[in-house]
Amino acid sequence: MKFFVSLCAAAAMLTVIAPLPARAGPMGFSGSWMSMGDFSRNWREAFVNYAFTPRDAVGVETAYMRSDDGNRARYLNSLTYTRLLQRWNSRDAQANLWFIGGIGALRLADQAGAAGETRTMLTPGIQFDYETTRLYFQATERLYRARDVNHDYTSVRVGFSFHEAEYEETQPWLILEARRMHDLSEKTEITPMLRLINKNYFIEAGVNNASEPRFNFMYVF
Amino acid sequence: MKKLIAISLLALSFAAGAAQAAVQTIKAEVNGMVCAFCAQGIEKKMRSLSQTKDVYVNLKQKLVAVELKEGQTLSHDTVKDLVKDAGYDVTKIETVGASVKDIKSSIKE
Repeated sequence: MKFFVSLCAAAAMLTVIAPLPARAGPMGFSGSWMSMGDFSRNWREAFVNYAFTPRDAVGVETAYMRSDDGNRARYLNSLTYTRLLQRWNSRDAQANLWFIGGIGALRLADQAGAAGETRTMLTPGIQFDYETTRLYFQATERLYRARDVNHDYTSVRVGFSFHEAEYEETQPWLILEARRMHDLSEKTEITPMLRLINKNYFIEAGVNNASEPRFNFMYVF
Repeated sequence: MKKLIAISLLALSFAAGAAQAAVQTIKAEVNGMVCAFCAQGIEKKMRSLSQTKDVYVNLKQKLVAVELKEGQTLSHDTVKDLVKDAGYDVTKIETVGASVKDIKSSIKE
């Protein structure tokens, strides 16, 4: 019951933050809550999930997607499930394969027709990441499907850290991301970002190739 | 009087030695620990134990050190399981008679 109340509180909190998101990220350690936000002009999302085992997390997610011309907007609120399918730990690296999925209500807000209509949306996806103390790679493919709607999301990220850091220090990284959102944009969005990783927080900020700002964060509590 | 002082000093040195010997720290080498944000789970899980006095994580050395409170015990299997729960693998584990402070100092030297 306590868990359910906490989940509802988190959902309410996200609803208050803004009409936000859709692509989910991974999860924290067993017994932890993870929050994440990804904010840019045309794509905003936030979620909170709870890891109830070392490999499974459930949560809530809210997303806002908009076409480049600003004529079509999508509002998604969903329940999510994240599963660590496989983890590879070596002395100097870690790689992960994740399943990320959600089911929720998608509200369409088009300037021409279908305004305000709500449909059920499914968002299954796969994410792979590989990281050392100096290098980072991530590839994500997530479907965003509802009746007559396909906003599949693809992203690839590569990056490097400027130097190794002690556990107590903040480590700066340069990350370059390329991503596409089907039927919302015909362009590939390229965003270089400065990432700061600390044991307590994870933030990224950058400007994309359309000169639009981008800000991401993750926090585990 | 001299005898009394000598006995007192001897007793004190034994007490100090006993206190030193009581310090116990479990040192674990952990695979996959590449970023502080990800590894925070290990520290939080170790600190949540009632036996824990202090925790030290070193990403470069792939080291997690858990100093125990005086008179407390903690099995290696418990530490391994908690590290596993946090998403990592222990490759080597041992108990040493040094404090976290001493271990930090020895690594920085």
